[in-house]
Amino acid sequence: MAERLRARYGASPLHALAVIASFAIAGYGFLRFAQGASPLGTFAWFAAAIVAHDLLAFPLYSALDLLARGALAGRDGLAEDTRRVPAINHLRVPAILSGMALLMFFPLILGLDSARYTADTGLGVDGYLGRWLGICGALFLGSGAIYALRLRRAGRAARGAERAES
Amino acid sequence: MKLRPPRLPERPPPGPTRPGFWRSPLRGPWLTSLFGSALLPLVLVCAVTGFLSQASYNPGLGNSLLPGGGLGFDFYFFSWPTRPSYLYAVTQGLHVTSGLIAIPLLLAKLWSVMPKLFEWPPVRSLSHLLERLSLALLVGGALFVFFTGLLNIQLYYPWPFTFLPAHYYGSFVFLAAFALHVGLKLPTVLRAFRERGVVGPLRADPRHRAREPYREGTTTPLGPDAPTMSRRTLIATVGAASLGAGFMGAAQAIGGPLRSFGLLAPHGTQLSDGPNGFQINKTAKAVGIEPAQVGRSWRLRLAGRGGIELTRDQLLAMPQRTCDLPIACVEGWSTTQSWTGVRLRDLAAAVGVEAPDRVVVESLQRAGSLREVTLSAGQVADERSLLALRVNGADLSLDHGYPARVIVPAAPGVHCTKWVSSMRFEAA
Repeated sequence: MAERLRARYGASPLHALAVIASFAIAGYGFLRFAQGASPLGTFAWFAAAIVAHDLLAFPLYSALDLLARGALAGRDGLAEDTRRVPAINHLRVPAILSGMALLMFFPLILGLDSARYTADTGLGVDGYLGRWLGICGALFLGSGAIYALRLRRAGRAARGAERAES
Repeated sequence: MKLRPPRLPERPPPGPTRPGFWRSPLRGPWLTSLFGSALLPLVLVCAVTGFLSQASYNPGLGNSLLPGGGLGFDFYFFSWPTRPSYLYAVTQGLHVTSGLIAIPLLLAKLWSVMPKLFEWPPVRSLSHLLERLSLALLVGGALFVFFTGLLNIQLYYPWPFTFLPAHYYGSFVFLAAFALHVGLKLPTVLRAFRERGVVGPLRADPRHRAREPYREGTTTPLGPDAPTMSRRTLIATVGAASLGAGFMGAAQAIGGPLRSFGLLAPHGTQLSDGPNGFQINKTAKAVGIEPAQVGRSWRLRLAGRGGIELTRDQLLAMPQRTCDLPIACVEGWSTTQSWTGVRLRDLAAAVGVEAPDRVVVESLQRAGSLREVTLSAGQVADERSLLALRVNGADLSLDHGYPARVIVPAAPGVHCTKWVSSMRFEAA
């Protein structure tokens, strides 16, 4: 019996029980959604979250990364020590961190519905854009400074190696 | 009934369904296991503190904000305590902070398993189909729950539904799919850690560039590119994003001098340096309090065995008590202030109720689902529970609830009713 189920179902009976239990609880959540204000709106946002991430955000940030890698790959005309130290992560890391900050706090940074925020809390949103720009500046500046140090070190090492050869 | 499998070409069509399409040498079961293992405790903390927040409303007294009173099987069978006084500040600070920490990790984990979305054939068996449906609930649920929470703490509501029930019942969908996912993937995680060690790939390979060996059916790439980023850099970057986000939550939850370092925290700034300069959840204007309502004609109506009306001066003439208590918001910020006022139990005694079973507190505010709140017997009995008239040695400001507001230790901020108009003490 269990063997026949496994052959037809593709997994063990325990798998089936776990799946049914999980769907039952999820179904309860959806049922309660449907009793609230705007059930269709709730479902739509649920589905839109998947589409926005899997089919929009992921392809978009992957494409941006490919673009950046492509732009940095053709660096043959540059000095040799510049080619020796890869620049891509000095761009990626500050871009990921400041992008993540924007993604997480965009309503305050961009001042979306700031009238409500100000009416409720008595606080203004004016500072957020400036502080986010400050964070971006500090991240890219810090990353650039580390890159400059690495270039210097690579140049020194290369000259040291040349001297040792000659 | 025979389940007829859909007829699809054996060889995947060109594009992301081909194994050669995915080229990052960093992807593999070990990396995904590491992100997943970091997320597991965060999700647990976030879920437990979330359900505790619902419990802190004392839904059994009719305070639930969920439709239909949240009955069904979301009932709570304990009365929310008043000790320690910072209890709600801690649970709700943890709720928001763990959620903030989880978001960059969640996105990194989704990046690491993206090839799975396009696996070929899309459906292998009934169990595989159900598992993939459950993954849609998991991904949709996780994004929905975390981002609705994230936008709520910034008071941004671009959607047509009510936040609280959607966030609450969305978490049922998310947690049901999450529990199944943990159960089904635990063997994969244990195998990855057994084969490669928990931090082995970070230690054994000094340049962190050896990829996980290709294995069919996993996220390891068939034809990887040369590495452009070490595993250590990737993990450090994701970790920095998570810690940075978590710091914003911690700064507004812990407050004090730390608050102003929460550069992007929604409650990261003080209103002013004065005694009433601390954070406000809803200003008087936002809930429609008119200055005329709180002028000399204001009276506090008390009901118990009899009924009396008290002016603010009469309240000030009663024995006053000062307590340092935090006010902690469901949105994850808190601030401890020194409150002065009349004990709730003294007010109960004034209308002849010695040990009230509950008190129904009503506010002058016209709007808002929390204009009326019921406090429990334990909350009224605590000698630090006050009807506060002053804060930090000054009269309450209008935005902090002048002429009088409730402050109860460990209660959620929305239960510390402002602009109180009446209190009805009910005997046991």
